[in-house]
Amino acid sequence: MAVERLKVEGQVAEGKVLRFTGGERFSHWLHVVSFFMLLFTGLGVFTAGFHPLMSLVGGLQIARLIHRVVAVIFVLGAGAMFFIGDSRYHRDWLRSAFSFSEADKKHIKAFTAEFFGGHAAYPPQDKYNGGEKINSLLTICGSAVITVSGLVMWFAPNFPAGLVDWAYPLHDLAMFVMTAAVIGHIYLSLIHPGSRASISGMLTGYVPEDFAKAHHAVWYEQAAENKSVAK
Amino acid sequence: MTRKMVLADTSKCTGCKACTVACKEWNQLPAEKTQLVRSYQSMRTFTPDTWTFVSFDENYSGSQMHWLMRKAQCFHCADPACLKACTSKAISKTGSGYVVIDADLCIGCGYCAENCPFGVPKVDDQKKKAFKCTGCIDRVENNLKPMCVQTCQTGALEFGERDELMAKAKKRLAEVKGKYPKALLYGEKEMGGMTHSYILLDSPEAYGLPSNPAAPLALTLWKDIIRPVGTVAVGGAAAAVVFGILGNALRGNYGPPESGKGGKE
Repeated sequence: MAVERLKVEGQVAEGKVLRFTGGERFSHWLHVVSFFMLLFTGLGVFTAGFHPLMSLVGGLQIARLIHRVVAVIFVLGAGAMFFIGDSRYHRDWLRSAFSFSEADKKHIKAFTAEFFGGHAAYPPQDKYNGGEKINSLLTICGSAVITVSGLVMWFAPNFPAGLVDWAYPLHDLAMFVMTAAVIGHIYLSLIHPGSRASISGMLTGYVPEDFAKAHHAVWYEQAAENKSVAK
Repeated sequence: MTRKMVLADTSKCTGCKACTVACKEWNQLPAEKTQLVRSYQSMRTFTPDTWTFVSFDENYSGSQMHWLMRKAQCFHCADPACLKACTSKAISKTGSGYVVIDADLCIGCGYCAENCPFGVPKVDDQKKKAFKCTGCIDRVENNLKPMCVQTCQTGALEFGERDELMAKAKKRLAEVKGKYPKALLYGEKEMGGMTHSYILLDSPEAYGLPSNPAAPLALTLWKDIIRPVGTVAVGGAAAAVVFGILGNALRGNYGPPESGKGGKE
């Protein structure tokens, strides 16, 4: 929506706070769709047990072709979002994933208890809490490793055999890491009673104000301040 | 079937290449345009349609030259790296000692080709299948000699029971060493023991072969560590989610819905 584009991240309105701009949500869902298409089609080559499933996309060789086409979208599509449009939130996210504050570390310590439904104390968090930063790091590193190893595998004849040999285990390693991470990520965003309110941030862009206060107090305070400055 | 063996006694090889023609004929492999790539060698390496060729290395001592000639094909390792690399269960080992690719199961991913220490399997990009020497398993299992052995005129290739032929090879090696002191037996222990073994007249390196061939370290890491650990990690993540849901349910966190309930302060 045109009106929405004019809004800035952190805008507070009617008990809601804008958490993710259209560009951030587009990147996220582009990554989601391409990741799962790559995971599914990749399973065909991963092990013989998945061969019959590949008939869903027209056969194993079609799956291998889809894997390559979607890989290009996965890399270039998501990568381009760091440069086109209002891309500063992408860069902010990237920067934040590599900087862990004391508050983040305490959140990570509390993460296990929270994950299994318990409660543990941790200081107010910024836009991304310690756990989200871990997930971001796994995604960033996993995507980088799977991209580079995938390129080597795709263009194997152009690389020395000794390098190609290493691409296979690294491609699998990145897949395992990202698959394990996405299972936890889906749980926290859709099923976990404490954090599932966050899904609206990736759908509409807005999260409930009291969720923002409870989970990302530092970020919320800043957002509220920005609003009063803007007014 | 008992373990078979083909002994290539390179001291008897004249480089006539009849074996390579016989292979094409029996396996109905089309001829390919060739050129002399080195000395009298007409194939640089294997192709999906060329499963064997003779390598020629010119060996000079003073003004004297003699060829190191070797009929190259799949060694049919007892511990094959290609089999370990295959994700499609397309490669298997027979009791007779042959490593064969099932074309119906092969998807042409090329993992076998990349991981074979000798670069033997080759993928046909059109057919999306990997091909290599079958050891003429179809002949062997019907009590016929492999086609290359059948054709060899000089007795450089010999087929038989592995135990008997290996003993014979050792005796023959002692004789060959008289003229070629560096001669050695290649294939008795390499890669777990190869069905196609050789009496070489010089070091393996002189023939472009590795002295201690081994499956790539990356392959071992991949199949023996990353895959099992990764599978457990993904299963563990799924199990953690199940316990997370149970933990939340038992603590009553899914209790009466309250809009915007944060779950924690």
